[in-house]
Amino acid sequence: MIQLEEITKSYTLGKESVNVLRGISLVINSGEFVAIMGPSGSGKSTLMNIIGCLDRPTTGSYLLNEEDVSQHKDQELAKVRNQSIGFVFQQFQLLPRLTALKNVELPMVYAGASKKEREERARDALAKVGLQDRVEHLPNELSGGQKQRVAIARALVNNPSLILADEPTGALDTATSVAIMDLFVQLNQEGTTIVVVTHEPEVAEYANRVIYVRDGLLGQNPFEKGGQTR
Amino acid sequence: MSLWENIKMALMSVKAHKMRSILTMLGIIIGVAAVIVVVAIGQGGEAMLKSQIAGDGNTIEVFYQPSEEEMQQGKWEENPFTQEDIRQLEGIEKVSNVVASSSEFSTANLRDEEAETSITGINEAYLDVNQLKVEKGRSFTNADFLGGRRVAIVSAAMQEELFDGKSPIGEIIRIGVQPVEVIGVLEKPTGLFAFGSVETYIPWTAMRNMLGTNNYSQVTLQVENADDIQPIGERATTVLNQLHDTEDSYQVINMEEIAQGIGQVTTIMTTIIGSIAGISLLVGGIGVMNIMLVSVTERTREIGIRKSLGATRQQILLQFLVESIILTLIGGIIGIILGAGTAYLVSFFADWPSLISWQVVLGAVLFSMLIGIAFGLLPANKASRLDPIDSLRYE
Repeated sequence: MIQLEEITKSYTLGKESVNVLRGISLVINSGEFVAIMGPSGSGKSTLMNIIGCLDRPTTGSYLLNEEDVSQHKDQELAKVRNQSIGFVFQQFQLLPRLTALKNVELPMVYAGASKKEREERARDALAKVGLQDRVEHLPNELSGGQKQRVAIARALVNNPSLILADEPTGALDTATSVAIMDLFVQLNQEGTTIVVVTHEPEVAEYANRVIYVRDGLLGQNPFEKGGQTR
Repeated sequence: MSLWENIKMALMSVKAHKMRSILTMLGIIIGVAAVIVVVAIGQGGEAMLKSQIAGDGNTIEVFYQPSEEEMQQGKWEENPFTQEDIRQLEGIEKVSNVVASSSEFSTANLRDEEAETSITGINEAYLDVNQLKVEKGRSFTNADFLGGRRVAIVSAAMQEELFDGKSPIGEIIRIGVQPVEVIGVLEKPTGLFAFGSVETYIPWTAMRNMLGTNNYSQVTLQVENADDIQPIGERATTVLNQLHDTEDSYQVINMEEIAQGIGQVTTIMTTIIGSIAGISLLVGGIGVMNIMLVSVTERTREIGIRKSLGATRQQILLQFLVESIILTLIGGIIGIILGAGTAYLVSFFADWPSLISWQVVLGAVLFSMLIGIAFGLLPANKASRLDPIDSLRYE
């Protein structure tokens, strides 16, 4: 489903060129639950941005659902993000002036769905994450865990093939984190591919597979084969 | 995403920052209101001036202005319109009335009191055509005109001047040595250029008997149709010049030219003041741009979220553009209401008509929308170009 081929990404800072990703090849199959781990500065966020079609690789090819998106224009990328990818962020990223329902409706607004269909599907999505009695609440009337549930409902409302979560439990306490991760597991069991970017091993444990990024390259699990990377 | 969604979103955002929205709109409100008021008052003034000059009664005055040559030949006459002239003029087609009069200044006495007044000998049509109404007493009758009776109607100012405001009806005044009975008082004049002057009117026949004036000094034609004023005026001068065997001594003022001249002057004035008001509209537009730029920065994160959820550049551009158009449009509409209200108040208190034409209103709406687009483009473009990754990280 996700097929990365020799992906590189470099930025120019002044006159210097910084290679953040130095050739990553990676395949994630449909239905997988993958965790991407790595220390800060390893390039895992850049990798996530490229997988999430928020950014384009400098070189290399990226096939998402057999479609080469690596050279897509802004407009096409926006459509891919809208139709195929659901985002969940550490800071929830809900629009503060919109109710939970309206927040969940947003991706469908950009997809051009009718008002009636939007509301129906948004309510279903909120029910799925257990917030059926919080639909008319504003984000600041919700707890952190509830906010993240709204964000997850928003991510899955357009039935994306991939849910991309960036440190989804970073702003939550342990108990809530467990509940949120359980929700991801449940969604995964229902068939959605899930990629979680995290630096917490506890979170990574929920995944079927863990990918380590280090210095812009895929590395090996430092926990399994201890001394090698240290 | 439909335009309606965008409009709803924009309205929500305007409502969410009430104070800021009102302050932003204020520039547009004042600008639009100023333009509306200036144009309304300008056009109202123009209409009033034109009606004052052309008269509301479809009238045109015939002037006697002999050339220098004729003057040297001694052809000048103090009272250049004969009774035959009047009959001929009355015979011209579409002339409904010929107003003829002859006036001079004189002293009127009431016992010991004395007043300077103009004495105007008038024909039957004079009072009606000049819209002079007798307020107290009675007007002249046919018998007064035919018999040359020594009766007078005085202006309100004359009543003040000679009779200390007391009713003059039935009093005998002396004009020169001739006694005249006052039978009526005229209504006080109203209007911008109406001054109450001291006037005494007597039948022209009485004037002839008393002062020995044979002819009329002033002639005004009233025509049936306003469009005929000019051609009939020309026709009258031809008739009179033929009768008197003069080249061009009898003339009419070309009202159309004067009206056009006034129209030009008022249009220029309105344009100048309107442009100054328009500058404030421009400043208001820059204010909108300013606030929208701030709003874009403030909402960087929102833009990032929307983009990550699949909003295209065009959709973000449209969102901010619609928002600035909504702001200026609401401001424009409030400005129109305010401007119309002010124009109404001005015309109410200053007794000056104001004309609010739908063209100006439509123009103001379109112009404020145009400002919304023009000054919204820069911020909207800025918003649409924001990088989603940077925007999401923006604190």
